Amino acid sequence: MVNRKVAKVLTFRYKILAGIFLLLAAGLVLLPKYEKHEGIKPEELLSNAISPERYISTDELANKIINQDPSFIMIDVRNENEFNKYSIPNSINIPLKKLLDEDAIGYLNQNQYDVIFISNDHFYADQAWVLCNRLDYKNLRVLKGGINNWYLTIINPTKPTENMPAEDFELYSFRKSASMFFGVVYPEQLKIEKKPEVKKVTPKKVIPIKKKKKMPVEGGC
Amino acid sequence: MGPLIPNGVIPYEWNNIIAIIIGIVFGFVLEASGFSSSRKLAGVFYGYDFAVLKVFFTAALVSLIGILYMDYLGYINMEQLYVHPTYLWGAIIGGVIMGVGFVSAGFCPGTSLCAVAIGKIDAIVYVIGIMVGIFIFSELYTVFQPLYEGYFYGNITLMDSFGINRYWFVFVFTIIAILAFVISDLIRKRRKKIFY
Repeated sequence: MVNRKVAKVLTFRYKILAGIFLLLAAGLVLLPKYEKHEGIKPEELLSNAISPERYISTDELANKIINQDPSFIMIDVRNENEFNKYSIPNSINIPLKKLLDEDAIGYLNQNQYDVIFISNDHFYADQAWVLCNRLDYKNLRVLKGGINNWYLTIINPTKPTENMPAEDFELYSFRKSASMFFGVVYPEQLKIEKKPEVKKVTPKKVIPIKKKKKMPVEGGC
Repeated sequence: MGPLIPNGVIPYEWNNIIAIIIGIVFGFVLEASGFSSSRKLAGVFYGYDFAVLKVFFTAALVSLIGILYMDYLGYINMEQLYVHPTYLWGAIIGGVIMGVGFVSAGFCPGTSLCAVAIGKIDAIVYVIGIMVGIFIFSELYTVFQPLYEGYFYGNITLMDSFGINRYWFVFVFTIIAILAFVISDLIRKRRKKIFY
């Protein structure tokens, strides 16, 4: 037997349950609201910021482009004028002020490709990097030194002096060949090109004609 | 923290196993509470049994309020939850067809499978009907395609389309639910009792 008092309460069970429902729903309305932190957490942003994956060097980028690595896209965050003057081949122009436009999201918010941000120095690219990181976009990287460094290292590499270590010479030869890939022509390259134009002068065979020795006059017939 | 699987708290591989377990429990509860009877289900439309209305309305409310509290307390991230995409006219017409099927046969697709499991012949006929319907739809897909894929509004919620505060919406929704329960009870009391 159920206790009579309990049974009495239980006759109201639906009303009680309805009351609880209303209370809970009203609680949601009455709860103090707070601004929710959107995007990734600060700790996560920090760990991304200090990660060695954040920057890509110009040499690595050049290497990727030359080897036709399909795994990345380059986003140029400079304005259109600068982009039209010079840009790394195949890079996509999304000026920083248009970074959050809907057209840009397709390029930035995807898991398929690495996104490499490029600006003149890496200052604006870094800002784009932070913004996109906060939005929890994946696989973001920044070109270290930006276009300026690209120009200094890849397009116009400085020739190492003779007292520098061998690695520098190797690096220089890589950069030089990379710059040739991107269309820089070197004077010695011109010379090399000229060479085949020079006709091989086939040396004329000089056939020595033996002069008949004059027979010494022999006396007497 | 949540949702558990997308955030890696539970490994992704457990997805299907958990789904099967939940499905078994859901089917068991449906059957145990008499939802495999077409008479009980059709009772909503004839006014002698409102269990379906009460159960599903309550379930929606419990999950709604529960998720909002968990979101508020930071246990779950509501942005990550799946919102079913809205194809307006497809949903309306599909809803009408489903409603007609519900009245005439006394099952919804879930409960029909539940009833097949306990061997109800009408449910078996109903499931065969579903299969025939699926077959016709697939064969005539090119005809239905513009309707099926048209009128797409994206993954919107009522809060988005009406632009109201979600907490107030839930509160109003709760009141509507309780009113619906009270009214349905009044209707049921007026009806002659039917034993089934």
